[in-house]
Amino acid sequence: MKTVTTHSDLVDSFLPWLTCVAMLAALAMVFLYVPNERVQGEVQRIFYFHLPSAWMAFLGFFIVAGASGAFLWQGKRSADLLARAAAELGMVFCSLVLLTGPLWARPIWGVWWTWDPRLTMTLVLWLIYAAYVLLRVFAGDTETVARYAAVLGIVGVIDIPLIYLSIRLWRGIHPKVEQMAPEMAWTLLVCTGAFVCVFAWLLRLRLRSLHLRDEIRALRQHLVAAS
Amino acid sequence: MPYLFAAFSVVWIVIFLYALSISRRQRELSREVEALRQMTEERTKTESS
Amino acid sequence: MWAILWKDLLLELRTKERVSSLFVLALLIILVFVFALTPEQLKQPAFGSALLWVALVFAGMLSIQRAFILEQERNCFAGLLLCPIDPGQVFFAKFLSNVCFLIIVEAVVAPLTLALLSLSFSVSLLGLVLVLLCGIVGFSALGTLCAAIAVRTRAREIILPLMLLPLLVPLFIAAVNVTGALLAGEAWTGTWFRILVAFDVIFVVTGWLAFGFVVQE
Repeated sequence: MKTVTTHSDLVDSFLPWLTCVAMLAALAMVFLYVPNERVQGEVQRIFYFHLPSAWMAFLGFFIVAGASGAFLWQGKRSADLLARAAAELGMVFCSLVLLTGPLWARPIWGVWWTWDPRLTMTLVLWLIYAAYVLLRVFAGDTETVARYAAVLGIVGVIDIPLIYLSIRLWRGIHPKVEQMAPEMAWTLLVCTGAFVCVFAWLLRLRLRSLHLRDEIRALRQHLVAAS
Repeated sequence: MPYLFAAFSVVWIVIFLYALSISRRQRELSREVEALRQMTEERTKTESS
Repeated sequence: MWAILWKDLLLELRTKERVSSLFVLALLIILVFVFALTPEQLKQPAFGSALLWVALVFAGMLSIQRAFILEQERNCFAGLLLCPIDPGQVFFAKFLSNVCFLIIVEAVVAPLTLALLSLSFSVSLLGLVLVLLCGIVGFSALGTLCAAIAVRTRAREIILPLMLLPLLVPLFIAAVNVTGALLAGEAWTGTWFRILVAFDVIFVVTGWLAFGFVVQE
């Protein structure tokens, strides 16, 4: 137990700095290092923040599903809190995708929004996240609600392949991935790293506050029971 | 490019807002901790007197 | 399980409130859409199928909600769970009763929609029945699970559509496409129909397995 706490303390003191450095490096690469894309010009640089956001949104969803499964399996409170924090973060990053997407689409395609399969998929994902977070908000914070949310998280992840399949078929072929220049690939990699750091840092912060709240509640109950 | 600028500021604003919401909740929690501490102190006082 | 199913059906037979209100509601939704669209748009088979499914989804949502609110109001659910039966069976009872109601409603609403939109009746009747049945089954399975969750929260009227609608996206797209192909007289047993069936199977099984987690105290 001792090693675990020191380990997590180390991570806690290390992670903010790592995040800052990674983010600065990512920004420098996006604005100074990587060359302009030939067809789209400067606007294409949005891509280096857009795509990692989308990956983080997916990562959040899988953490929610995994933690939900673990919670239903073993009933550990920490798994429930992890699912909860990851869902919030997934929603934050999903919102980023949905906000930066139109800002990129507008100068390139001339429209704010197209019903492109990926955009549609992200929107549906955002809606599922929203339902999950709102369920938590509306239903309070009890053992029962934790189970409800876990079921919803798992049902959501079961649904994702079906949603993806149906949306793909619904709007034909989606734009294919072009060959990337090495500079672009490196920039994307660093940006993804920076986003992973931001994700992990915010997740830890949120988790800590959730755990703290649990402890405070337990203490309060203990005090009330003692008096 | 205004769009590029807008996109990057949006990313920062959203992340900042979320961090702000976490810190707000954290402040609420520390206030609660303070209240709890006072409760325990009062109790120890009454017990010792 | 059959006892619970029978109880739900008997209650409905006595009052007939659910089926009749659902029927009127579905009709109203179709009416709203007819007013919102131009006559040229209404003639297209694609709109006919879209309309049919929009009406079914929204009416069905209220139907499922009604079933659980009734149980919750009279606190019957707690009693039901005290019985030594498997929660999976409770799921099937609720799911099947909802399937029955929606079939009854749809048996009237679907032909009526076709008639109101003057779409041809010469479509494959078997296909139409099959598609509606598959849609109803998938919808009821996921709906039953979500409604059991939603009913015990605050703001349950709003949380059910919030949960259910995004999850229903594949069912909805597939069902509308199959029905559209049917009404246009094209081949309909393609990929879309398979997605629809896959959705049914996946969520009947998921609902059955997950219901225990939702209803236990």
